[in-house]
Amino acid sequence: MYVKSVSLDDHEFIIKRQHVLMSRMIKAILRGLGQFAENEIKEVSFRVNSSHVLAKVHACPSYVVGYTNNSTEIPEFPTAPKIAGELLMAANFPDC
Amino acid sequence: MFTQLLHFWTPALLGFPPLLEPLLLAELKPGRPHQFDWKSSCETWSVAFSPDGSWFAWSQGHCIVKLIPWPLEEQFIPKGFEAKSRSSKNDTKGRGSPKEKTLDCGQIVWGLAFSPWPSPPSRKLWARHHPQVPDISCLILATGLNDGQIKIWEVQTGLLLLNLSGHQDVVRDLSFTPSGSLILVSASRDKTLRIWDLNKHGKQIQVLSGHLQWVYCCSISPDCSMLCSAAGEKSVFLWSMRSYTLIRKLEGHQSSVVSCDFSPDSALLVTASYDTNVIMWDPYTGERLRFLHHTQLDPPMDDSDVHISSLRSVCFSPEGLYLATVADDRLLRIWALELKTPIAFAPMTNGLCCTFFPHGGVIATGTRDGHVQFWTAPRVLSSLKHLCRKALRSFLTTYQVLALPIPKKMKEFLTYRTF
Repeated sequence: MYVKSVSLDDHEFIIKRQHVLMSRMIKAILRGLGQFAENEIKEVSFRVNSSHVLAKVHACPSYVVGYTNNSTEIPEFPTAPKIAGELLMAANFPDC
Repeated sequence: MFTQLLHFWTPALLGFPPLLEPLLLAELKPGRPHQFDWKSSCETWSVAFSPDGSWFAWSQGHCIVKLIPWPLEEQFIPKGFEAKSRSSKNDTKGRGSPKEKTLDCGQIVWGLAFSPWPSPPSRKLWARHHPQVPDISCLILATGLNDGQIKIWEVQTGLLLLNLSGHQDVVRDLSFTPSGSLILVSASRDKTLRIWDLNKHGKQIQVLSGHLQWVYCCSISPDCSMLCSAAGEKSVFLWSMRSYTLIRKLEGHQSSVVSCDFSPDSALLVTASYDTNVIMWDPYTGERLRFLHHTQLDPPMDDSDVHISSLRSVCFSPEGLYLATVADDRLLRIWALELKTPIAFAPMTNGLCCTFFPHGGVIATGTRDGHVQFWTAPRVLSSLKHLCRKALRSFLTTYQVLALPIPKKMKEFLTYRTF
């Protein structure tokens, strides 16, 4: 099941629902949108964030899920200093 | 004695992944050296990893420093992690890897420091503009000795490159600037710190005076702007690495301060003292953010009085979320920054020093009998918020953060007042 997340510049991200649910805040929002039918895509707008920031926010859960309890070398999750400020504000909302 | 090790983590509350107490991966014991000198001491005062994680330096007592390529050979890592220790390394049998190096320093070795190598890009640019200066383009190790000398060695070959004189007493600690400029800082029992330029054949460029007692430890912030020194008169000094002048004195410890370390983003400083406390400071404002008190485990393991928990060493983990401390109460403790109690313990007798492997996952400790142990360290994935904080604080001072037009809660998070 997937969730569609839309950024400020109308860039649409289709992400797995369980990744997005890692955030309690978003879980609460999605609960408000009602039940998921199979393969139905619910839309969540992050219309305050630009697409390059939102791309990082959504890439993070796959990184976390992939490397948690994994004994291989963990590469650094790349965060360019230029977007770090915006990224922090974006990450604060879903608290991830 | 340590049949129960108590955990202080609660994953449901914190969202932390389950953590195990540090497991002993391997233990190295020195073989009998060729010239066994009963007069020289056997302690491992310092251990260090090279910044790229390819070498481990072990001051194994009796004036010998062993340089061991990392990762360790198979023979030293047991198949499961149940086995506590392995066979001692026996020099005379010659079973060591051919790349392993033995440095005979001739006197007790107190301080160790690797240069940052491979050179950061900034260094290569610098070298291009200064063609007349010999470019030391190799990994070097500085060793601080008993009579005040500092010997500079080339790691790949084990050759002695330079001998720096100036200090009048034991050189207890050394630190290279992380930028790769080959500036070395040394801290000595002669109450001074000295700055050496290895581009100019080890010329002494500055003497920093001000301490009243032995200087135990020095540490340069990863952004190369500040130098911290910790001394016997209970104070911690912060110096500017640009002007080599004193910025401020940090008061708060009740006894000799013996270890100090900056966080990877230079935003935090931790200091450890014989007064059983580790204090976490904001180095830009001088504020004390945390007191980490080292008490005995509760309930007590036996009927004796409170253990003397003098601290010996403290260090940050590479992602900046954990601290490891070595104390005289025979425990290695792991602390998570946001908590006030340790999250894991490991039994460790006669510990003197500790350091994290630069890519995380392993802690190396050295003991009074010349042994080193390698422990598993918690491998945690930083939250995206912490990664952003680390990226921002690598170039923003506390005052710059406070001046940003962001919500108060965000400022508190960025300045590590909240976690």
